[in-house]
Amino acid sequence: MPLRPKLAMLYERERNNAMLDIVTPESDAAASMWSGVVRHLHITPRAFLPMREMRELTLVAGKGIEGDRYMVGREEGFYSPKPEEGRQITLFEFETLIALKRDHDIDLGVDEHRRNVTTVGVPLTHLVGKQFWLGETLLEATRLSIPCRHIEEITGKSIFDPLINRSGLNCKILQGGIVRVGDVVRSMQ
Amino acid sequence: MMAAMTVKTVVDDIADGGAGIKVFTLVDPDRWELPPFKPGAHIDVHLANGLIRTYSLCNDPTDNKRYVLAVKREADGRGGSIYLHDEIKRGGVIGVSLPRGGVPLPSHLTGFAFIAGGIGVTPFLSVAAHLRRIGRNDFVLHVISRGPPPLADMLAPLLQSGHVVIHDTWAGPRPDIVQLVGRPLADALIACCGPVSMIDAFEQASCDWPAVHVHVERFVAPPLPVDPQARAYVLALARSGQEIAVAAGESMLLDVPASCCGGICGACKVEWLQGEPVHRDRALSPAERERSLLVCVAGSASERLVLDL
Ligand code: FES
Repeated sequence: MPLRPKLAMLYERERNNAMLDIVTPESDAAASMWSGVVRHLHITPRAFLPMREMRELTLVAGKGIEGDRYMVGREEGFYSPKPEEGRQITLFEFETLIALKRDHDIDLGVDEHRRNVTTVGVPLTHLVGKQFWLGETLLEATRLSIPCRHIEEITGKSIFDPLINRSGLNCKILQGGIVRVGDVVRSMQ
Repeated sequence: MMAAMTVKTVVDDIADGGAGIKVFTLVDPDRWELPPFKPGAHIDVHLANGLIRTYSLCNDPTDNKRYVLAVKREADGRGGSIYLHDEIKRGGVIGVSLPRGGVPLPSHLTGFAFIAGGIGVTPFLSVAAHLRRIGRNDFVLHVISRGPPPLADMLAPLLQSGHVVIHDTWAGPRPDIVQLVGRPLADALIACCGPVSMIDAFEQASCDWPAVHVHVERFVAPPLPVDPQARAYVLALARSGQEIAVAAGESMLLDVPASCCGGICGACKVEWLQGEPVHRDRALSPAERERSLLVCVAGSASERLVLDL
């Protein structure tokens, strides 16, 4: 796959740096060959209600997740008055929960971060603007999620600050289907 | 900021609680689990006529698909209970706040005594249900009432198990609160909910007790962000000519788009014209702060703050 011009420029600059000439576009491409797994799935039909753990979710392209608050046509989420394609499905790294415990001694449950999919081994923050497979479904990441103050009210935990820049990923659904716990998440590259 | 969003509930049942009391059962429209609550917690009920009233939840927190409220019709009250009694029907939709508060029940304590005046029994019904479920039987609930106690159906199982003492002041003498409170104990907790006069008597009687072992159930407003510097001010909107009073520590109630509500995303940015904003955000550069502020977190150091709205 051809490198985007900006990236090519970066490589050019790096090639001129003798210390870094061991890094090649090929080795970098290898570094983006990640794959991860779906560890938990959650939905809730309305703002503030607890997230319910599901074994599988039905994703509808361009719309959202069946039964979830942000499904187009349902619009019962906290942010529904501000519609946005990227709310069709949201993802969160399990690794962030581990980091919250390690760095801040905060126990945050998989049902408390309020995103739909909890992944393991997926570099979510690297995927903005990219497409990737979630099981049999295809997603496109629109932006990083932003933590929201009302999550502190719901959980009673001071997690707004620790979640800045690692609050998950907003995505739109390009190709729908069923996503199950244990499904593989893989890059389009 | 956007108007306070509420948890949408539907009235699933209205039962007679005796003594002018109605027991409302609120559920999610899809019978989803409701936001969790602690034993003895309370919620604000947002009524269609604009009134907001606070009521204790009477049920066990593990009964997590229902909020059960007991409301006494106060004919000379401020109108909330009359509205609930007279206007609310089964199937009606009611918005409620997230539950707040609750009676602290540290597990290392070896006894709990609760003193309730009339309808003040409601938080302790939730507490008692919780304690019994976790196998703690070391509690007693004193209910002081004029005439037969309220919510007899809900009290019946507790009466049967010997956890309730009824003090009917029509049938007998008024109990001495000092006696009910007793001498301070290092390993017990006492709590009270009832009319102001009873709470005053309780606080006096318990002044020798360690403060952490004394709980008074008051319906408290949601906590405001802690900022000792915060002041009240007037928000003037230059374009619309509107003037809005903002209380100390309150956020500006403006209808601007918001997202994070925590001063990091910039969604609620507006331009300010005069005054001295207190920014508190983590998104704007010093240069941007010269002209803009983030509505969700900003306050004012001046008496008046003028916005370009
Ligand atoms: S809503 Fe995000 S900064 Fe105000």
